Order: sequence, then C-alpha cells, then structure tokens
Amino acid sequence: MFSEAAAGPASPPARIVSLAPSMTEILYALGLGDNIVGVTSFCDYPEETKKKTRVGGMSNPSLEAVASLKPDIVVMTTDGNPREFEELLRTLHIKTFVFTARRIAELPQGIRELGAALNIRDRGAALAKELDQSLTGFAARVKAHGPGKSKEKILYIIWPEPLIVAGPGTAMDDAIALLGRTNIASSASTAYPKYSLEEVLRQAPDVILIGKGSGMDMMEVSRGILHRMTSVPAVRNGNICYLGDGLYRLGPRIIQGIEELAECLNRK
Amino acid sequence: MSKPKIAALILVTCLVFLCSLFLAPKAINPASLSDIEREILFSIRLPRVLVAFLMGVALGASGAVLQGVLRNPLADPYILGISSGASLTAALGIIGGLTFLGSFTIPVLAFIGAIITGGIVGVMGWKRGGLWPERLLLAGVGLSFLFSALLMLMMSISTDEGLRRAMLWIFGDLSMSEWQRVPYGLVFVLAGIALSVVRAKALNALILGDEFAHSLGFAPQRERLILFVSVGLMTAASVSLGGMIGFIGLLMPHIMRFFIGSDSRMLIPASALGGGALLCIADLISKSIMPPMELPAGVVTAIIGAPYFLYLLRRKDVLSV
Amino acid sequence: MFSASKQTILELDRVGYAYEKGSPFIQELSFTIGEGDFIGLLGANGSGKSTIMKLASGLLKPASGGISLWGRSLTAIKHKDRAKLISYLPQTLDISVPFTIKELVGMGLYPYDIPPALSVDEALDMVGLTGKANARLTDLSGGERRRTFIAMTLLQGAGLLLLDEPLANLDIKYQIELVKLLKNLRETRNISVVMALHDINIALQFEKVMLIKQGCLIGAGSPDEVLSRTMLKQAFDVDVEIRKSGDKGVYISYENNF
Repeated sequence: MFSEAAAGPASPPARIVSLAPSMTEILYALGLGDNIVGVTSFCDYPEETKKKTRVGGMSNPSLEAVASLKPDIVVMTTDGNPREFEELLRTLHIKTFVFTARRIAELPQGIRELGAALNIRDRGAALAKELDQSLTGFAARVKAHGPGKSKEKILYIIWPEPLIVAGPGTAMDDAIALLGRTNIASSASTAYPKYSLEEVLRQAPDVILIGKGSGMDMMEVSRGILHRMTSVPAVRNGNICYLGDGLYRLGPRIIQGIEELAECLNRK
Repeated sequence: MSKPKIAALILVTCLVFLCSLFLAPKAINPASLSDIEREILFSIRLPRVLVAFLMGVALGASGAVLQGVLRNPLADPYILGISSGASLTAALGIIGGLTFLGSFTIPVLAFIGAIITGGIVGVMGWKRGGLWPERLLLAGVGLSFLFSALLMLMMSISTDEGLRRAMLWIFGDLSMSEWQRVPYGLVFVLAGIALSVVRAKALNALILGDEFAHSLGFAPQRERLILFVSVGLMTAASVSLGGMIGFIGLLMPHIMRFFIGSDSRMLIPASALGGGALLCIADLISKSIMPPMELPAGVVTAIIGAPYFLYLLRRKDVLSV
Repeated sequence: MFSASKQTILELDRVGYAYEKGSPFIQELSFTIGEGDFIGLLGANGSGKSTIMKLASGLLKPASGGISLWGRSLTAIKHKDRAKLISYLPQTLDISVPFTIKELVGMGLYPYDIPPALSVDEALDMVGLTGKANARLTDLSGGERRRTFIAMTLLQGAGLLLLDEPLANLDIKYQIELVKLLKNLRETRNISVVMALHDINIALQFEKVMLIKQGCLIGAGSPDEVLSRTMLKQAFDVDVEIRKSGDKGVYISYENNF
C-alpha cells in the first residue's frame, strides 16, 4: 500500500493522479477533487472530472503522461490496473497507493486506509462510517423482512448477447447477497462468465436485472435474449429491471447502486 | 468410394448429432421430457446443434474445395482472408455497439465483411481473364494481415468490456444460435455445397493442372471462379453464424482422404459430414467442461486440431493434395 | 492397294501468336493434320513446339488466323465436345496428385454424360498397365506414367492425340515402348498422333516430320525429305548426316562435328 514513508504531517498531497474511475469518485467524495491533476479516459463522474487531464486507460495508462504531471501520489486499484505499472512508477520514485478492496464489504476499510495514506484520516473515517451505516442499514432491513426473501432467485445480466452475467466475487453478487437473495450464477467458476442459456431456463430466476452498457439502450439490446427466456418466471411476470451503472464502480455511489437494486427487488 | 464407408460416416454423424443434442451440458431423456426440458430441447439445443452442424459442413466442404483449387494441402477456408474481414466488421459492430438489426446485426455485419473481402481477394487474384491460385493465396494472406492489424487497433482502443465480447465472438460463439438463423445458414451453405459438388469433376481435373483440365473439356478459369464463389458463400455463412472456428476446414479433408480417397465427388460431401460431426463434438465439449460457463467452440477445435495437425505433418503420406 | 483420301481433322490457317504484345512468336503458321497421321514435331528447345501444340489443342488462342477442327472453328466448339475429339498431354506431370491410376484414367470419361463402352481396365490393358489400377503415379516408372495418361485419352475417345515431349527424361527402353504403343494404337484404333520431340533419331520413326525453327515451319514431309543435312543444320545448327545401315535402318550421324 505504501511505497515510501509519508512525507511529514498534516496536508494531503497537492497533486494526485487517479488510475480508476472508482478511485476518482472516492477522491471527490473525500473532498480532494481539486487536488486531482490526472485521470483515466474512463473517469466521468462527477462532471468536473471531464475537464481533467487524461493519462490513458485503466489497463494501459501512459507512464510518460503520469510522470509529466509530477504527481505527489498515484492512486491505483488491483481491480483493473496492471501490477507492473506500479513497479514502473516506483522506479521513477513516484509515490503510489494501491487500493486492494474488491468486494463491497471491504470498501469502508479500503477508504479508511486511503484516507490515512493521504493524510486525511478523519475524512476517510467519516466517509467509511457513512458507508458502513448504509450497508448495515440494508442488512437490517433484510432481517426485518424475514427469511422468505432468500428463496428469491436473481440473475444479473451484464450483457445479453453473448450472455454474460455477474458471477461470484463481483459487486453485483455482493449486493444481491447483502439484500438477502440468491444469485443463480454464484456457483460459476469465474467472475463474469459467458453463461449457458439452458442453465438460466433450468434455474428459473424470479427477477432479472440488466446492467447498463455504455451509451446503449439496454431494452433494445436485451429484447432478443429475453424473448428466448419466456418460460422463466422473471420474464413471465415482468420482473425485469434495467439498472444504472451504480454497481459497476466500487466507490461511494455503490450505495445508490444497492438502493436501486433494493428498490427493484422490493417492488414485486 | 465404397457404400459401407459412406453408410458408416452417415451413421456416425447422426450419432454425434444426437449425442450433442441429448447429452450436453446435462443429459435429457427423450422418453420423459419435463416442460422445461422440452423448451430447452427445442428452442435452445436443437437450433444450436443444427447451427453447429451447418457451420461444420460449410467449413469441411470449403476446406476440401480450396485444397484442390489452390493445390495446397495447407489451404483452409480462412486462408483467403474472408474470415479476417468478417471478424473486422463483426468487431466493429460489437465494440461500436451497433444494434440496428437486433440479434441479426452482428451476423449480417460479419456476412457483409466476408463477402466484401472475398470480392477484394477475387479482384486481386484476377489477371488476364482468370483467377490464379498463387495470386489468390497471396492476396488472401496479405489481406488477412491487414485486417488483423486493423482489428488489433480497434481492440486496443476499446473498453475491456467491448474487447472481451469481440474476442468471445471471434473465437467461435454458438451460444446465440436460434431458429431464425437456421434458414439463412441453410440457404447459403446448401447453395455453396451444391455448387461445388456439381463442379466436383472439374475440381478433380484442376488438381491435375490447368492443361489437363482443359484437355478434359473444362474451362479452368471459369471452373476456378465458380469454385471460389462456392467457398466464399459457405465461409461467409459459416463465419456469420458463429465466428471463427478453425482447423475443421484444414483437417477434415486430410482425414477423409485417408478413408475415402481424393475424388472430390466423394471428398467434398464426406468432409462436409465429418466437419459437421466434428463441430457438434466440439460444441458438446465446450458446453461440458466448465458448466454452466461455455467455452468458445473455436478454442476447443484449436486444442484438438493443433496437435492432430502436427501429428499429420509427421505422416507425410497423408499430407498431400 | 487403294487408300481412300484422308479426312482433315485439324487445320491451322496462318495462325499467329505472341507471348508478349509486340513480339510475335508464331507467324503465318499453316498445316493440316489428317486421319491416321503419325507426325513428329521436331525442333530445338524454345523453337515453339509447345506453343504450337497448345494452339492446336485450343489451350492458347491464336492472335491471328484460324484453327478448325473437323471443319468447324475451334473457338466455336464447346469444351466438352472438343475434349471428345482432341486430347492434349502436357510435358510436365505433377506426380504428387493424390489419385489412384484407376481414378486418373477414369477422368477420361469426364467429357461424357453417357459413358462410352470402354472400361478403365480395358484401357489399362491396352497400354500394358494391367493390374496397376490401385497404384499411384509415384509407384510407376516414367514410361508407365505416360502410358497412364494415354489410357486416359483412350477413355476420352479422342481421335487426335497431341503429346508435348512425352519422351523427355525417359530411358531409351521406355521411349521405344511408348512410340511402339502409339503406333499400335494408330493401327488398331485409328488414332492420329502428333508428338513434339527433339530427338532426331526417334523422329525417323514417324510417318511425317514437321521441322520447326523459331516458331516457323521450315519443312514438312517424310523423314527422308525433311531430315536432310541442310534442313537439320538450319533447325539445330549442327552438321549431321543420315546414313543407311545395311538394307533397312537409317540413323543420324554427328561424327563430323567432333
């Protein structure tokens, strides 16, 4: 997590480069938006991010672009940034912080650690606490409703054709579990498997969630695959929700993502 | 060319077809079908196995024809660059998120890409009134490189998501097979096979060389053109149905030559049947290895095909056109 | 003995051909091939023998002049019909073709929708390849390979055989075998033979010799007439003589060159 000893007390780094949209959002939520000097080409939230200098993609950021911004620290994540890049930054004596949280449950602690590394321990702890409270809130609501809900079978479609779904170890899987339901794909062997249509029919999910593809009309795009699932209870009863991209980034907006999910599930 | 061999081939193909239909990924007993199983069987498995079979048929037949037309034992339907062009347009559609024809968008784009590429290769291979095998080969290989480069360019600037989807398609995706695709596939594949079987005698003569072909009463350039068009149709249909599935067009003719001889009148249909059966097997494997996840069928054919190809190389008697 | 006048099978009338525009290789070439002819087309390498054979078979189209087959223009005849009348055997054979002898010979039937009465085995017998039906070209000797394709032409039923240097690279034994076979076929089946060659001694075996130099026909007639010292000097640029040995038998002598 740390690559060099923290430089003195008090002030957060003045020049921060973020190598992931989720990190950018977290930095903004921690009030460090103005300190960000470089972001990836995928960073788009909040609006102000779009004016920041781009340093490349998540899996292929430009070393030169990052170095030329003379950052005090580069914030990256294990979920999407190449490991080798961190080593490259170190050889250039650029300080890095690697965010290791990949599951929803790990997010608050990850934020605490980030806060400590950026010398804003208090703000970090506050944000983490806020997230903790929201998450426990969800869990409590589920308990209140009783155990019946866990029988509800959910399928989260990342992309309809070819059929790619959210499997184990994903934020979507975490969110579904947090809300006390069962993800039918949670026993798959990879995180985002190309799933068997046949298996979906057999499992007969009660609710189908369809995630947002960038700039696409997901209803149009999913029409075909849903047409082939007409015997599935979710399709028969019209329990299909088109969700935003809240669950796609492990940052503060994950709460909105979970809320959106909860709202959909509780609606039926 | 004996009747028992043909009967055996047809029998094996039917067996493979039925196994693929009823056994993978979970066994279904045809005698006692639950409602859900009936739906799975008719709206998911049957069209998928049919599509796989059609693709295999197209690839096997195309391989047999091309190896004869180009007089090259390493010829494979993809050597003419048709598949690279199709992959490029399909990837454009996938990464660019085009959906103007719903589920048909990507197959149609792939088909257009294949036909355009076939046309370019045909034009480049044309000189002095005819198609020349060496020119076709060079044009095809050259175009393949070019389109692969463009494809790599497109992939390197796409999002991870788009990239993955494009690659899944390119490596052979039978998971989107549905009844609607079957008639189109059938029409083009049948047209291609009919065309090539009808000209099978000409193909035999072409293998002896243009001079012999002429002496035996054929117009070599015209026959080559017709055969090239038949391969183009079948390959375009195959790639648009389910991406690039390799090795079948390359290996099936060699395997069948061993059993049934080199007479194209037998070799083309036999390679077609063998190709269909092989792809059904590959599909069966791709559904059964890591259920409920599905591997791309092209990966399976490559894993089976590459070692077998190396083995064939050692048996020099087998590897001749 | 009264011999009926021979019918003309193939007639070349002032045919011209150029491999590259502007440098004509063949000019004003005229000759006829009749029924039962046994003609040797003799000339040095590069003299145009192959080109003439290809023109005669229809493989190359003349740039000027016309070729007629049984009275009809060669270009107007359908390929399949033409294949039933003329058979052309090229100089080089690709012996790596994957077909059996039976399959190869069987290809002679391709021009036909209704197969003629001759069977593959009968054709193989006629050329002395009985029992080789399941072999491949790589298993046969050079002479046997040529004979395979002659068997194929038998199935084709062609009345005119155009053979481009079939004796090249064959041992003398097989050369003689092949010429004897062709003579025999001419006797028994009335097949006309035109053979391109550059061995002067073998040319003596032919009924008629056509001497070619640089795309031109410089002499046509019986071997006695054509293979004279002056003609051979013109065609091959060497000093040769025809000598008689005993009562019968002639041979070519090069001695004066050494």
